[in-house]
Amino acid sequence: MGKIEPITGRYVWVPYNGTEYRIFFEEAGQGIPMVCLHTAGTDSREWRHQLCDPAINANFRVIAIDIPRHGKSIPPYDWYKEDEEYKLTAEFYMGIVMAFCHALELDKPVILGSSMGGNICLHLAEKHEDELRALIAVEACEHSLGWHIDWLRHSHIHGGEAAAQSVFGLMAPQSPDKYRWETWWYYAQGGPGIFKGDLYFYSQDHDFRGRTEKLSGKVPMYYMTGVYDFACTPEMTEESAAKTKNSECIIMEEIGHFPMSENPELFNSYLMPVLDKIVAAS
Amino acid sequence: MFEKSWMESWQKLVNTNGPMSWIGKHFTTNLLFGFGETEYVIEFYKGKIANIESEFTPETCYQLAIKGPAVSWEKFCQKTPPPMYNDIWAMAHPLHGRLTLEGDQMVLWQNMRALCWALDRMREI
Repeated sequence: MGKIEPITGRYVWVPYNGTEYRIFFEEAGQGIPMVCLHTAGTDSREWRHQLCDPAINANFRVIAIDIPRHGKSIPPYDWYKEDEEYKLTAEFYMGIVMAFCHALELDKPVILGSSMGGNICLHLAEKHEDELRALIAVEACEHSLGWHIDWLRHSHIHGGEAAAQSVFGLMAPQSPDKYRWETWWYYAQGGPGIFKGDLYFYSQDHDFRGRTEKLSGKVPMYYMTGVYDFACTPEMTEESAAKTKNSECIIMEEIGHFPMSENPELFNSYLMPVLDKIVAAS
Repeated sequence: MFEKSWMESWQKLVNTNGPMSWIGKHFTTNLLFGFGETEYVIEFYKGKIANIESEFTPETCYQLAIKGPAVSWEKFCQKTPPPMYNDIWAMAHPLHGRLTLEGDQMVLWQNMRALCWALDRMREI
């Protein structure tokens, strides 16, 4: 008998704004629900190490989702005849995440998101603070410019390789090669134009400047950023965290923009104290 | 660092690298590299460095110039480069501006994997 991982994958149909979305998710563990949000252009596989960590899933029901158009979550049926190219908006992203939580009847989940999944935490804190237990915003800040560029969906350029190679340098050279290249692989498999479309949210629609300091602080926010992240630098995260009430800022050494997948052991060592605090407060 | 003999060492590493033979199969272009005041036009042909030109004439042509201060390139070439210097896109990102890209950027995006793989070989010199 081969080694079988504790992860279970399932599909749930999620109604949102007049459409039903077939959403794939993986889960493992029992306890406090914790929904993990992947980075732009990729999918839930980024969280495979956290899903398999017994120290994490002893107290948490870890749920990693593919948002629509990513991984195994298919696009809406009429995607091929849309008048405009795909652009992820804060409104849709926040809405579909909360609709997913409602569809699974999760009781005050923790949201653990990275990059665009970290940035959406600020929006969730603003609009859904009563429904959430804690927010863990990995590689997040209130505004990060420069990534919504046409080269990422261009008929003369291999979209998969361009997406993958453009993010490779966001990972720390100290991270194990096997995991850095696995992350590269995930990026090379995104749908056409999806990475670029996600970056519309990341670099344009997500502009929280002037709103961060207005968050009430009712839901605790944990910012976690790696020193090799050149898109959302430690300084950018620290600046956002300083404006966020009831927040904590953790800067991670020898890690980059994809902590959970590029160096899972090191990331988990930073994550566990945060999770312990959430357990203690629950 | 970055003298002609250093460039020739890099050329040898690129041209004898195994994966480069298939990663760079379609990587054919001329690029100008600027290491501070020191500049070369590198002729890539099917993923191999065919020529290193340091003396420019009115006929010298290239598709894209990649230029940065020598000190930035020196950090890039370290075995374990420091944050913000470990990748050309990190150095060229609008947030940081430690590297400039002048010319046809499409050739960069079309061949980014092969180019980055070739540049990684600088850390083996």
